[in-house]
Order: sequence, then C-alpha cells, then structure tokens
Amino acid sequence: MENLGRRLVPGASLALVLAALGGATAAHAADITITMAAPDWPPTRFMKEEFDRSYKSPDGNDTKLDMDFIPWPSFYERVAASLTSGEQKYQMIVTDSQWLGSFVEGGYYLDLTEKMKADPELTAIMRDLHPTLISAYSTYPHKTTQQVKDAGEWPAPNVHYYGFPQFPDTYVTYYRKDLFCNEKEQKNFQDKYGEKLPCTYDDWENVDWVMWKKIGEFFRRKKGDPLGDDTAKDDFYGIAYQAGKGYDFSTMQINAFIWQRGGSIWDETKEPEGQAEGVVNSDVAVAALEDYLSMVPLMPPVAKTGQMDIFVEQDLYMQGKVAAMVDWVGLGEPVLDPKTSTVSDVSAFGPAPGTKKDDGTIDRTGNIGGQPFVLTTWNSDEVVKEALNVVKWWLKPDTQMKFAANGGQSGLMSVMADPKYDTLRPWNRAHKEMLEWQRDVWHIPEFFELLTQQQEEFDKAITGQIGAKEALDSVAKFQQETLEDAGRIE
Amino acid sequence: MAATSPDLRADAGAAPANGGFLGWFLAPERRGALLVTPALAVLFIMNIFPLLWSFGLSFFNFRANRQGVPDFVGLRFYERVLTDDDVWQRFQTTAVIVGSSVVLQLIIGFLLALMFAKEFPLRRILLMLVLTPMMLSFVSVGVFFKFYYEPTFGLVSWVVNHFTDERFVMLATPAGAIAGIVVADAWMWSPFVMLLVLAGLVSVPRYLYEAAEIDRASWWRRFSTITFPYIKSLLLLAVLFRTIETFKLFDVVYIITSGGPGTSTETIAVYVYRMAFQFFRTSQASALAYIVLFVVIVLTSLYLYAVRRRAEEVS
Repeated sequence: MENLGRRLVPGASLALVLAALGGATAAHAADITITMAAPDWPPTRFMKEEFDRSYKSPDGNDTKLDMDFIPWPSFYERVAASLTSGEQKYQMIVTDSQWLGSFVEGGYYLDLTEKMKADPELTAIMRDLHPTLISAYSTYPHKTTQQVKDAGEWPAPNVHYYGFPQFPDTYVTYYRKDLFCNEKEQKNFQDKYGEKLPCTYDDWENVDWVMWKKIGEFFRRKKGDPLGDDTAKDDFYGIAYQAGKGYDFSTMQINAFIWQRGGSIWDETKEPEGQAEGVVNSDVAVAALEDYLSMVPLMPPVAKTGQMDIFVEQDLYMQGKVAAMVDWVGLGEPVLDPKTSTVSDVSAFGPAPGTKKDDGTIDRTGNIGGQPFVLTTWNSDEVVKEALNVVKWWLKPDTQMKFAANGGQSGLMSVMADPKYDTLRPWNRAHKEMLEWQRDVWHIPEFFELLTQQQEEFDKAITGQIGAKEALDSVAKFQQETLEDAGRIE
Repeated sequence: MAATSPDLRADAGAAPANGGFLGWFLAPERRGALLVTPALAVLFIMNIFPLLWSFGLSFFNFRANRQGVPDFVGLRFYERVLTDDDVWQRFQTTAVIVGSSVVLQLIIGFLLALMFAKEFPLRRILLMLVLTPMMLSFVSVGVFFKFYYEPTFGLVSWVVNHFTDERFVMLATPAGAIAGIVVADAWMWSPFVMLLVLAGLVSVPRYLYEAAEIDRASWWRRFSTITFPYIKSLLLLAVLFRTIETFKLFDVVYIITSGGPGTSTETIAVYVYRMAFQFFRTSQASALAYIVLFVVIVLTSLYLYAVRRRAEEVS
C-alpha cells in the first residue's frame, strides 16, 4: 500500500497540475466569431476556404471567420452604410486603400501602430512587406513609397499604420498567344509596321503605348476577316483597357498615363501648399489624357458608352472578342478556367504597357489595386488579439505561398523572392515587376467626392462630349474648391 | 359561434374584475389599440422616425463619415440646393425622362387597351404576357435592357448591324442614353396604363356604340364623345401615378447608364443617392430629399384629387 501510495501521490499531483493547466487554458479560450466584410471574388473566397481548413488559434480560441461576401459593384456602399449606421457588424474589413482617410476620420478603423510595434511577429511582417504596400495600404495620413523607404527600417516615427495586405493587386497585360505568336499575324504586322508583334514575355517588356495603339489598329477585324489561322466569327478588337464611369474604372488607368508622362494628380502629401489647379490640368496631364482617349475608338464599342469597366473588358476578353487587354491580376483566375473562358488555353501574361522615355527605358508607373484588411474600433481586446492572430496566420509564408498558388499574390518580399513564386501562376512574374511601379491615389476623407466628379468628367471625355482639356480643367476647379473648403489647400 | 361569443365576452369582461394586469391589459376597450400598436411601432421606427431625423439633419452640417458634433446651419442647405445649377440640371433631366416616358406609356398603354378591349383568340394568354413586365423587379428590367443595348453582343446592336454593317452604340450619346431609359421604363409600365384604360373601356355601355353606329358616327366622333369621356379620369390617374413614380426613377437609370454619359441621364433620385452615399454630404442630401418629397406631395395631392373626382363620377 505504501508503495502504491508513493506511486499514486506524484501521479495525482501531476494530474492536478495538468488539470489546473487545462483549466487555465480553458479559462482563456473563447468562442470568437470574426465577421469580415469582403468583396466577393476569388482572393477572398480562398481566404475563407483556407481559414476553415487550416487556422488554429494560438490562444486556443474556437475562432470562426464569418465572411460577408459583397458583390464588387455595391461593396463600397454596403460597407459605408454599415459603418455609418453604427450597427458595428464587422470586426474586420477588406477595404480599398483609398477609404482609409474616410473611415479613419469617421472613427471606424483601428490605429494598429502601437500593437504592431509591441508584437515582434507583426513587426517582422511589417519589415518584410513591400514598401509600396505599407505606403498604400497602411499609412494614414498617407506617406509615399519614397517616404516609407527614406524612413529606413520600420516603424517610421510619427506615422500611423492601419492595414495589412489581404491581396495586393496590379494590372498586367493579358494576351492571346495563339494570335500574337501566329506566324501569319507576325508576318503581316512586320510588313505593316516594320516591327515585331510581341509574343514572348521579353517582347512585352518592350511594348509601350505607341506599340499598344498599333496592336489596336492591327487586330481590328470585321466578322469573316482572317484572324490567326481561322476567320473572325464576330467583329474583333485588338485592345481593351478600363474606360468605365463606375467607381474608379477610368481613373486607375488615366492616372498611369499622367504619371508616366511626368504629370501629377493632386498630391495629398504636399498639403496644404500643394495645389490642384495648374497641376491636375497641366499641359502634360492634358496630353496624357488625350493619348488615353485616342485609343478608346480602337476598343470594343462598349468603351464609347463609358461602360468598359474591369469586368466588362474581362468578359469580352474571355468571350474571345479582344486580342489583348490591361486588367487586374485579381481577375486572372476566371480567364484560365475553361468553364468561364473561351481563351483559357491560349492566354498569356506580360507587364502592362508604359511610356517610352528619351533614354529608351519604359516607365510603367501605375495605380495600385488590391486591398488591405483592417480592424474596427469597437472590437474588445480579446477580439483584437484574435483578429491579429488571423492577420499573422494569413501573412505566414506558408499561407501566402498557398494563396499565390491559387491565384492570389503576396505582399511579403521574402515570399516573392522565392524562385518557386514566379512559376506558381502565369502572371506572377509580371505582377512582381509591376509592383515596383505602383503609386496610389488619394486617401483623404474627400476621396469619393473627388473620384466621383473626376469619373464624371472622364466619362464625358470618353463618350466624346468634351475634350481632354475641358475635362481636366473642370476636375482641377472642383478639386481646388473642395480641398480649399476642407482646409487641405491654402 | 353564437353560443360561444357571449361566453368569451363574459370572460374578457370578468378579467379586470379579477384585478390581474393581463386582464386589464387585454380588456376589450384596449384590444383595438393593442392590435394596431405593432403596425404603428414598425411605421414609426421604419418611416416616421427616420423621416423626422433626416428632416432635423437637413438643418445641421452633418456628414455620416465624419466624427464631431454637427453645427446648426438653419436653412443654408436648402438655399444651397435651390441655387445649385447641378440640381436644376438634374431636375431638367428628370423632367425630360418623365415627360417622354409617360407620353410613351400613355400611347402604348392606350393602344394595347384598345386591342384587348375586343375579344380575339388567345386574348387571355396574350394579356398575361403583356402584363409580365410590370411584375418584374426594376433591377431585372435594368439588367435586361443593359444587355439589349450592349453594342458588342446586345440584341439592338445585332439587329442594327444586320442592316448597316456597323455596331449600334446607343448609350454613347446623351440623347441615345435618355431614349434607352425611356424605352425601358415605358416597356415596364405601359401595361399598367393599359390596365387602367382597359377598365375604363369595358365600363362603356355597349348601347352607346350601337346608337353611334346607327347614327353612322365616324371613328373619331365615337371616340371623342363616347369613349374618351369614360376613360379621361382614368387616364388622368394613369398620368399622375406614372409621373409620381417616374419622378422617383432610380434603379433602371442606375443600372443601365449609372447616370452617364457624364451626368446626362442622372435623375434627381440618383443625384440624391450620390450626394448622400458617395459624397457623404448627408445634410445637403437630406435637404434635397425634402424638396423632392415636396414635389411628390404636390403631385400626390393632384392624384388624390383625381381619384376623388373619379369616385364622384362613378357614384
């Protein structure tokens, strides 16, 4: 009995300790549901699926990610309505970077600066993120990529950080290799323009807007005309890029034209001295917009109605009506899916066209797409901690590689540096190259006013009601007045 | 039933005597109010309170996407809205769309009613088919017509291309875009006008037409002296009702053109929405919404007056 007693006492003590530990864990574990507003498209659908498959809370919580998938066209309105109504429905939000100002100033997005600094894992993530993404997705008041780089190692002093990349996006060229690499088409193009029709990725590295325009003219075919080794089954068009009135569906492309030529939009990092008038409607900007408009007639006729948004051009491309288009990487998966695309097996990808400089290099500066995710201010400490666990899980290299293999993109430089990364999806190489050229439009609370008025004026120009100068003069005047009223221009 | 009702009344009447709160609460004299209260509560919470709240907001400088205490600005936003050229331009656009659409609806609705006033084979089936558009949701109609007008693969462009060998880009010009919206709205609501006119047509006594035929009255004479007097108040109803509804037109415009090209098809309802939820000028949008409400109330008063006159005529 004594021996048994000697054996039982330590055993019982161990059991008590384990029970106490277990009890302690159970006392901290909680059922947490994180409701996240997310646009309904593959990058967020994958996040939900992967979360359900692989997420385990490091704190032992039973965590559910309840994603509220919202169609893109109504995404902003739904999120804005939810936030401003005070319903406090969402704990996390996949947000466009430009909404940061509006919803930070509204008191809805949580300032994560101190939490990022205090957590070594989050600090490591921030130090591994591409500076363009820190600039566009996280800083408010906005800091440019150059300012982020100049600040040295993260964190920069006196800068506030709010978001992490859910999906960094850039636009690239989608093209039909069955047409661009077709011998007859190659020969005809060479005969007509004395230049090589781009076929390989390296060829696309040399495509500027002048060449893009030639492609637009060259591939314009009527129904029944020869096309590749076949004949066109319907009217066929060479090029497409976004030219839509909705949301930002022309601004994103027009900004690229303006920046590449050395022009500028109103620069929020220069307030209150930075002006809109004289900058937004400078001669360079007007010439850039004229160049953009000159290619609209070469695109499918819906462009002339101002309804060529990113989804319409994707549809037209997938229906086999366009030879090449510039569109977001995030819309790539359906293009490669034979269930949704008639050109799934003949599509290839290259960098987006740019403007050739005097030294022969091509400037591909563009407006960054994609979205960060943010936390909301009404979350309890427990929910904030768990939401940050979700952020850490999402930005783990393993998760990011899986994401990239399923059509997503990573913002982590260590992941992008992996040689495997370029081969995961056919657009990854182009995306990485384009990421180096990205800037972002305004992040201020007046963003939507500026954007909507600008879209209207661009739409008038796209539909031929006014010219480039008149459009940009009107935009500059409106921006000057609005920003003066808001105290952002003195 | 006759045997049980007095018992029930007796039970209900006995309850207060027992002094219980439930009995007092469910007493017959309170039942009417009790039954109506849920509906009134919903009406108050969903309609009246937001209405009063937004009315109050229209006198403050408030933006839903900003923090801070709103300032009282009195009638400033009403003044700003009424002197804003953009607002008047939207009212003009709305007037053009309302005028064109209602006239088209009247013409089509009237012709359809004349057709369906007579018996012919498959009349009932055809009537059901003709009524289908007004049973569809605005969003569906908007999407249908957006695809019809799509220049690359849309039906309208395809038909025109058949004859001209050119794609027809209907929504590229302000006139084309307005026409596109008017056609969509008229397609949807002409059957409603037809129903009203048909109700008038079938109420005309047959003997009047028989007498006119004996008198060898012309078609126009029969129409102007027999048919029209019977349907004129119903036609007025149709005009007013469709004017009020078209004045508030939002969904179809938003889906087909988003107000474009530029702002050429932006109706006042679309403009209020954009001011409130895109520009976040909440107070200014409230002020504009009340001005629109005032116009609608005036039109509704005319509508009710027409209804009363029709009721007097019938009686």
